[in-house]
Amino acid sequence: MKNEVLIDVKHLTHLFQLTKKMKVRAVDDVSFQIRKGEIFGLVGESGSGKSTVARCLMNIYQPTKGEIWYHDVNVCDKKEARKNKKMLQTRRQMIFQDSASSLNQKMKVADIIAEPMKIQHVTPKRGSFRKEAAFQMEYVGLDESFLDRYPSELSGGQRQRVAIARSLSMEPEFLAADEPIASLDVSIQAQIVNLFRHLQQEHGFTFLFIAHDLAMVEYLCDRVGVMYHGKLVEMADAEELFANPVHPYTQTLLSAIPVPDPIRERKRVLRTYDGEELENSEWTEITPGHFVLLPHSESGKGVQS
Amino acid sequence: MEQLLEVKNLSVSIDGLAGEVQVVRDVSFSLKKGEVLAIVGESGCGKSMLCKSVMKLLPPSARITNGSISVCGQDITGYREKEMQNLRGKTFSMIFQDPMTALNPTIKIGKQIAEAVIIHNKKSSKEEVYQKVLELMELVGITHPKERYHQYPWQFSGGMRQRCVMAIALAADPDILFADEPTTALDVTIQAQILDLLREIQMKLGTATILVSHDLGVVARVADRVAVMYAGKIVEIGTAEEVYYDPRHPYTWGLMKSLPAFARGKESLYTIPGMPPTLINPPKGDAYACRNEYALNIDYEEMPPMFQITDTHYAATWLLDPRAPKIESPIGGRKH
Amino acid sequence: MKQKKMAYYGKKILIFIFSVLILSITVFYVARLAPGDPLVSYYGERSEKMSPEEREWAMEKMGLNDPISVQYIKWAKNALHGDFGISFKYKQDVTEVIGGRIGNTLILGGIGFLCIFGGSLLLGILCAWQEDKLTDRILCKLGTISSCIPEFWIALVLILIFSVNLRILPSSGAYSTGKAGDIGDRVIHLVMPLAIVILEHLWYYAYMIRNKILEEVRADYVLLAKAKGLNKKKIMFHHCIRNVMPAYLSIMAIAVPHILGGTYVVESVFSYPGIGALSYESARYHDYNLLMLLCMMSGILVIFCNIVSQTINEQIDPRMRAEEITEQSEVVEQ
Repeated sequence: MKNEVLIDVKHLTHLFQLTKKMKVRAVDDVSFQIRKGEIFGLVGESGSGKSTVARCLMNIYQPTKGEIWYHDVNVCDKKEARKNKKMLQTRRQMIFQDSASSLNQKMKVADIIAEPMKIQHVTPKRGSFRKEAAFQMEYVGLDESFLDRYPSELSGGQRQRVAIARSLSMEPEFLAADEPIASLDVSIQAQIVNLFRHLQQEHGFTFLFIAHDLAMVEYLCDRVGVMYHGKLVEMADAEELFANPVHPYTQTLLSAIPVPDPIRERKRVLRTYDGEELENSEWTEITPGHFVLLPHSESGKGVQS
Repeated sequence: MEQLLEVKNLSVSIDGLAGEVQVVRDVSFSLKKGEVLAIVGESGCGKSMLCKSVMKLLPPSARITNGSISVCGQDITGYREKEMQNLRGKTFSMIFQDPMTALNPTIKIGKQIAEAVIIHNKKSSKEEVYQKVLELMELVGITHPKERYHQYPWQFSGGMRQRCVMAIALAADPDILFADEPTTALDVTIQAQILDLLREIQMKLGTATILVSHDLGVVARVADRVAVMYAGKIVEIGTAEEVYYDPRHPYTWGLMKSLPAFARGKESLYTIPGMPPTLINPPKGDAYACRNEYALNIDYEEMPPMFQITDTHYAATWLLDPRAPKIESPIGGRKH
Repeated sequence: MKQKKMAYYGKKILIFIFSVLILSITVFYVARLAPGDPLVSYYGERSEKMSPEEREWAMEKMGLNDPISVQYIKWAKNALHGDFGISFKYKQDVTEVIGGRIGNTLILGGIGFLCIFGGSLLLGILCAWQEDKLTDRILCKLGTISSCIPEFWIALVLILIFSVNLRILPSSGAYSTGKAGDIGDRVIHLVMPLAIVILEHLWYYAYMIRNKILEEVRADYVLLAKAKGLNKKKIMFHHCIRNVMPAYLSIMAIAVPHILGGTYVVESVFSYPGIGALSYESARYHDYNLLMLLCMMSGILVIFCNIVSQTINEQIDPRMRAEEITEQSEVVEQ
């Protein structure tokens, strides 16, 4: 079952119109697949296009070019997306970075969690919306007593759990989490990451996990894609990627992870990468499942090895 | 060695709607010339307030309730705004978390740096100021300073802006530099560059630095000494090696264990149970006791004093009392 | 670069012309839709005694029987040649009617505007400087009260105090009879109307400035400025107020018609012979040509000021001019 493809992104390109004459290529010819039941990590610096990819996946942006297949629905095709609107809206959910601003401050936690069900006119399985909300709360490890509180009374980690509970209330199969832990404290980050792990392993959810904390990505994700300036430069199983980074940008990124160990940390050498040969490169599979954007001259060798 | 900054029993409170919040509680530490002291802790533990209270940049609702601050042997606790203005920039300076908002968006970068130069060198000519600004820009690694001088902050990337903020902070050659989460808003690759710059400047100019951060990895790269803060108090302080390889306070253990670097191959990350206490009515005993799996009965009753472990290493936990049961540290151990 | 600028201002002018056109059509139609008898303003009492034939003839003569669109085109054609028709009531060219009175309004509104412009800035800075101290709190309370009281009411109270009881200030007019050229006399007549125009608007803008400055004071860069050793005065004037100025200028540009509208009310209370009182009459008596020109003048002023304020904003704030792109984003010219 692990190898069944849930989302297939083909040659996704998204341009942002800045002024009449200028466009920014936020996402540039990106292709990858997310398999059912895995946590797929997307890393890169700010402005590398990782959030844009997630938003294209969720139909928040209409991509300029390319296809995104969800099961057998092309979500970029407006007609098809409209026909399957309900399925797409319930089965895919998104979690944002700043839970303080993505939750309505004027609503109680119970209402926040039940809101998607009300919008989609789902009859609550457990009798009432409130019971449903309580069930989801328990699912994400929050006490039932929080049901009648407002988001401002909760801590950052609890708010993020409420956001997760809200997205789980539709019983989705796919969750896109855009920097869900970036604004949280270290020990709270660990709680949220554990929750993701738990949801994936015990309940089979599929995740797209966007982050810039590479240490967490290494710990949590099954497969990882690295983005640089709108391009996917490397993609592999997490273990493989962190052990054998091939693309110079991936190596730069990995060399920059801070290690909580003073002696090793002081000796750590930084690498730099300034985007050389990025334009003239080709997406190459160097070992099974390990893809790299390699310059043309090297890609020939790569295929054979 | 000479003590540049000495903080004794400092307490700071903020008057909030719900009552007086004790954000900094009875904190003492000192800083030597040319060393980097890192203050680590979670958000709301008072680490940022601690820096701001030394520079007297606290919000109007906050006040120092107890303790003393001395700089170069001079007690500045009672200093008024006017006297502080002469110290700021010259004796101590600060860089902030978000370089995006720390610069005035409508003034050219060069002018903003020049302003900082002029404050403490009122007699210098225009040309001298200009040269000094270019020098500063080069010092912090801004390329093409002459062209960059005339640009506005929005024409700079995040990392470059943080460099500008550093140039401003270093304009009057301060003795102490406070860096309040200087890399939190930046990308990992940029973060490493800024940290190295911080270290490099500290080596070159001998500026003592207080680095505030929540990231134990960041701190490891630059800190000589590390102080761990929890609920407004310093719970452990020592050299970087001591704190990382031989931590003694259960909170330090918890922080380290929750990092993914310590959980490689494990089922799940360690999490510290519970939540930090509110500081409106802080608990009588150790504030960490209710989250501490090693808590002793006395932890709930009485605040632990600072126990000395070595000349430089102190920790505030009853576990270090000679009468306490011996507990093997769950992490650490020397990894030389 | 030059061409770009030309295109920029060309576009603004086009928008201006288009807005004026729409405005004139709307005013023209709405004025004629309003119920009432336009003959009253021309013939006065006599119009009531007119036979239907006479009425018909009079309407025909004044061109009021044509369809509205034809009337409009005729009016527009003449207007473009500078002929705005005659006023039904004054039996004079409307330009002459207005010309005789506009000076009074300009003096009242102009002086009022300058006082409000300077006063609100000073008051705003003072309040921001003293934030939450006694001065600020008292000024805030007083200001709120002053702008809540309707202007015609204060006007009446002032007249009662200064004209009826104390008899030091005249209650109406722009000058005493026979003293049209006496500047001192005119000044005395100006005092009360001016006081009310200023009182009514001053706090509104001062409070806006106060809050804008405080917004800036809370910005992070102020903390950095403090940390580098700047004193409060320098931070306030070199950083905060500087950043507030563009917004202030654009607000004041929009304020021009707002304050002018205030003078209209004041004029009618004090029977001050300005165009405010005139507009009120012309609308009431269906003096179409006069009303049309007055509306057009006010409207053009409003549109013009809005465009000016927008231009100020775009010109002063460097970010709004931004066509260059920050270094980190990769840009593709298409």
